[in-house]
Amino acid sequence: MSQTDYTRQTHHEFLVAAEQALDDPKLQASLTNLGDTLAQRNREAWAAFPQSDAVRELARQIKDETLAHLDEYLEEFEVSVRRRGGEVHYAADGAEACTAITEILRSRGVKKVVKSKSMTTEEIHLNEALEAAEFEVVETDLGEFIVQLSKQRPSHLVAPALHLRMPEIHELLSGDAGETLPNTPEDMALYARRRLRADFATADAGITGGNFAIADTGSIVLISNEGNARLTVSLPRIHIAIVGIEKLIPKFADLPVFLKVLARAATGQKMSVYTSVINGPKLPDELEGPEEMHVVLLDNGRTRILEGPLRESLFCIRCGACLNACPIYRNIGGHAYGGVYSGPIGAIITPLYDGLVANHHLPHASSLCGACQAACPVKIAIPEMLIRLRDQLHAEPGELGWAEGKAYGLWARSMRVPWIYRLGTWLATRTVGRLSKNGWIRKLPGALHGWTKSRDFPAPASERFRDWWKREGEL
Amino acid sequence: MSRETFLARVRQAAAAGRAYRVHVQPGITAEMGRAAHGADLVVEFIAEVTKAGGRPVVVRTPEEAKQQLVELFRFYEPRSALCWQHPVLEKLQLAEFLPSHGVEQIDFAVIARQDFDHRRGTILAADIGITSADCAVAETGSLVMAHGAGLERIASLLPPVFVAVVERAQIVPDLFDVVAHFGGRLPEKLPSNITFITGPSKTGDIESKLVTGVHGPGKWHVIVIDPQ
Repeated sequence: MSQTDYTRQTHHEFLVAAEQALDDPKLQASLTNLGDTLAQRNREAWAAFPQSDAVRELARQIKDETLAHLDEYLEEFEVSVRRRGGEVHYAADGAEACTAITEILRSRGVKKVVKSKSMTTEEIHLNEALEAAEFEVVETDLGEFIVQLSKQRPSHLVAPALHLRMPEIHELLSGDAGETLPNTPEDMALYARRRLRADFATADAGITGGNFAIADTGSIVLISNEGNARLTVSLPRIHIAIVGIEKLIPKFADLPVFLKVLARAATGQKMSVYTSVINGPKLPDELEGPEEMHVVLLDNGRTRILEGPLRESLFCIRCGACLNACPIYRNIGGHAYGGVYSGPIGAIITPLYDGLVANHHLPHASSLCGACQAACPVKIAIPEMLIRLRDQLHAEPGELGWAEGKAYGLWARSMRVPWIYRLGTWLATRTVGRLSKNGWIRKLPGALHGWTKSRDFPAPASERFRDWWKREGEL
Repeated sequence: MSRETFLARVRQAAAAGRAYRVHVQPGITAEMGRAAHGADLVVEFIAEVTKAGGRPVVVRTPEEAKQQLVELFRFYEPRSALCWQHPVLEKLQLAEFLPSHGVEQIDFAVIARQDFDHRRGTILAADIGITSADCAVAETGSLVMAHGAGLERIASLLPPVFVAVVERAQIVPDLFDVVAHFGGRLPEKLPSNITFITGPSKTGDIESKLVTGVHGPGKWHVIVIDPQ
């Protein structure tokens, strides 16, 4: 889609992008099934596991506790990783993280890098940085590989190529193969398996994110269905994991709590196919596995969120359940949001990472229906936070026009003074009704036209309720 | 940014953030998150393996397990196998059994001495992987693999077909029990890599259509030895 700027150098027009998304028949076809597949499986998974309510609450409490003492858990994690022969690096922002990773690769003579799906590497634009430093970078998750071939950005947290249809995928993979592949999903996947297996076998380094980082054991936990994350940490001689600091959990014993909710939320599975707990480089007598392991801990705006009222957004375990449940996401898809993270959780964290004013449409891109919170494996109060962001927006200078500000002020005052309110409703029944046709208002005049641009209003009744009540209601 | 500056910033933010801790329900314990376990553990385990896309079979003796392997060999016609060195597999005497059915067991000790390219070629060409598990989880149908020397991570990963042989005694009811299983090795002595395996390799990345075997094994067989 033309409106998605991969490196986000230019301002993203949410309304334009959303409109394009609504007019894109291929994207609409991709999104249609989402509510019946992933979202439905998630609801069924919660229903089939009545204990899930307690587990989700527990997961939430563990996240809250970890964040309250995050500095201590980070130090414990560092000690644990070093004890097992791994190295820990600290990166305040994306640029520092890219530099740290580039340095590691360069100093070890790396040429080719395989990657397993990681939103954190998307967030810091790692691929561009590595390509600029002339490393060969290969995404290995099938969806990410397809998205990389298309030179786009993932449009969903767990299904990156959700926006692409089979003919487009076939064209991309055939282009990569240099021949026309058979066009069944099985054949296309088989091509990817062979092509990427060769990359795994010859790559010098594997880069992953981390679903969780465990303080007491120094573990990185990687979850995938395809097995590419396992290959990434089994065949290359160097493993680098880049992990946001909010991914910490205190103990290995806490892990089952999260495993019980993550896959159920993401895909409705009880467990994803592969959950790897990586506790350091391979031991000397093991045949295969990385000889070196590095963990890059990333801040990149997380501490700014941690100290404020929207700290709860850091509980997110990136399952995508809120995207699948959201009526807005299911209509416009991921790219329209403009940030790396889309859907309801993206509408909160993109403004927090990237600036509220620059992303002022996102907190409003929600009907506040609450489906996101109901789906969330850690029960994040997403609607409440969106309202809070809307509130913060109104405090931003220049956000509201002078007239709009005055109008809302007047509205607020009249709602508090009964006689003004009565006068207002009396006026409305006698004036606004004139704009209507067959009981509907299709177009409001002047500055108010935005309200009727994409919806009709029922016209106010010709008689106020209070007048009707006076006449008919009092027996 | 230096480590000290980074951590100082986190310390300050975590402290300020404590003003915004969320309201939590009191009295929630991990025990409340245990799944209900009514059925027999083997019955529950194989039901979940099936749901995850695996093909389980229950046998009574190691001898019967070998017969199951013979059938799989007939079907898949593997030439070489990556096998774990594990007490459960020792009962099957794979070293003698495999060659008698035309399957070469790749010898870890031999390939450890080969040069990089040679070794890579051998392991990537393997047709079947045969392992046991550290434990198995009835709740989810998962195998828990504690990898190490002789218990190589590649055996359940590289070949297109993966067969695991487990005994009834290895099955624990719940994911929470896996923690207790590793309890003696916590926190410092965990193996370098623990992997939970729950299904054949899967993807839904092409129009949400389920395809197996995209990176890992597309075929997953589990043989449960249950003398009862």
